[in-house]
Amino acid sequence: MLAALFVEFRKLNRSLALLLAVAAPALIAVFTFFNMLRGSESQPYDMWLMSGNAIWAFFMLPMSVTALTALVAHMEHGPKSWDHLRALPLPRWRIYAAKTVCVIAVVALMSVLTLGMTWAAVEVAARVKPAVTPSGAPDLAAHAWTLAKMLAASLLLIAVQLWMALRFSSFVPGLALGIGGTFFAVVATSARAGVFMPWQMPVNMLTNEVGRAETALAIGGAGGLLALALMIAHLARREVL
Amino acid sequence: MSAPAVRTHALSRSFKGRQAVDGVSMTVPARSVYGFLGRNGAGKTTTLKMLLGLLKPTSGSAALFGVDVGKDRLAAARKVGALLEAHGFYGNLSGGENLDLTRALLGLKRAELDRVLDVVEMRAHGDRRVADYSLGMRQRLGIARAMLGAPPLLVLDEPTNGLDPDGIADMRQFLRALPERTGATILVSSHLLGEIEQTATHVGILSEGRLVVEGELAALKATLAPELFIDADDLERADALARARGFSVLRTAEGLTARLAPRDDARAAAAALNRALVEAGIAVFSIAHKARSLEGIYRDASKQGAF
Repeated sequence: MLAALFVEFRKLNRSLALLLAVAAPALIAVFTFFNMLRGSESQPYDMWLMSGNAIWAFFMLPMSVTALTALVAHMEHGPKSWDHLRALPLPRWRIYAAKTVCVIAVVALMSVLTLGMTWAAVEVAARVKPAVTPSGAPDLAAHAWTLAKMLAASLLLIAVQLWMALRFSSFVPGLALGIGGTFFAVVATSARAGVFMPWQMPVNMLTNEVGRAETALAIGGAGGLLALALMIAHLARREVL
Repeated sequence: MSAPAVRTHALSRSFKGRQAVDGVSMTVPARSVYGFLGRNGAGKTTTLKMLLGLLKPTSGSAALFGVDVGKDRLAAARKVGALLEAHGFYGNLSGGENLDLTRALLGLKRAELDRVLDVVEMRAHGDRRVADYSLGMRQRLGIARAMLGAPPLLVLDEPTNGLDPDGIADMRQFLRALPERTGATILVSSHLLGEIEQTATHVGILSEGRLVVEGELAALKATLAPELFIDADDLERADALARARGFSVLRTAEGLTARLAPRDDARAAAAALNRALVEAGIAVFSIAHKARSLEGIYRDASKQGAF
């Protein structure tokens, strides 16, 4: 299994998927930087980091997962490498399990980069314009914990998007689902049923309603793990024509 | 006696009611070069995919060196390396990196990379990105990847597809040398008769999903009736004279093709026919023995209604 995992990470070398992993958090940091420079007075440090996390959870995470899963799957669909991989003398579930772990690891890396780059953007903006230097010290551990919960809550979203991306060789079904899901997650933010929507589960980690956050975490995390296991079993058994 | 490299029994596969492979029972002897022939769409790739465990047969079975593919895919897969029509290389990685991924998945030592790159004479290009490779280089890299771990059977699906004439000539030379370099049995599919004739020891011809001819190439050729090609000033009289002497004759604008009985001595028949034509006052420009060829086997199969 370790060999399959190692192979999946090496495939990302010089790939668009890796570029996306850096570009998406960088966009949040760039936005934060210019947003700070627009202001004229100091704001609490945690407000800026929380703002970065919110953009990540609301929009960038579901869209990034949509794009990332499409790109990772297309690395195999594009050159039609499934036949080669599936003809090798190794259990097929390992190929899909390794790909799944790889995608989750990249989303985790993006979460870390979101916090790190947003922090760096705040620091740079404060030096460029001292008047907006944030007040207080950043509670990086608390923000990291929130991002970790968002990652856990996004497992169901990752499962749905990865399943679609690996099942269909065309970009279209996965992208349509991801864009549609993100759209409804954004426009129906306050809907009570939103907590059951995979694309909205990460953003529920920011709510003060304890029950809602716990529900989203349980369904997104546990449901996600179950869905990922089903996905791996399904893809390993089916024929790729 | 060791098991054949490939043995299938009544192997069949249908797709949505269309019979792609129909009761194919083929035997590929160990250490042979087996040319798997047929038109595009004849069912070659579907058959090969079933041998590799990529498709499940609707009925029938396939075994590699005695290991049933359906019952123990992993054990069967350890005995085969394959070059499929779609290479499946990652364009963002170099040739060496692409091979290294498969090497890692197979749990092989790094030295194996250099070995297979040497066999396909690609070591100097191992650091270049696959996206910059020519089609011929990709084919060679695909064969190198199939050879990782030195499997006793290599399955090559249309290795000359898309190559220019120079590339085809290079690939032909390469395939000829491959059995000696690797010691493996080679199962190569193609629709190019000339290429297979120059490389294969055994052939199987597939038509509309059915195996219509199979055997050792030399033995199959020996069963073919020899033919004489005749060019003369009066083809009409020459035609009549040849028919009168018991030949079956095909007349074209270029001349006559006279088919002998399978065991006839072609040289003696040519001399006798030449003498008869000259004695009849017909000027003979040329008379030549046409060598028995794979094309003849293919044509005979088509006369059976196969093609």
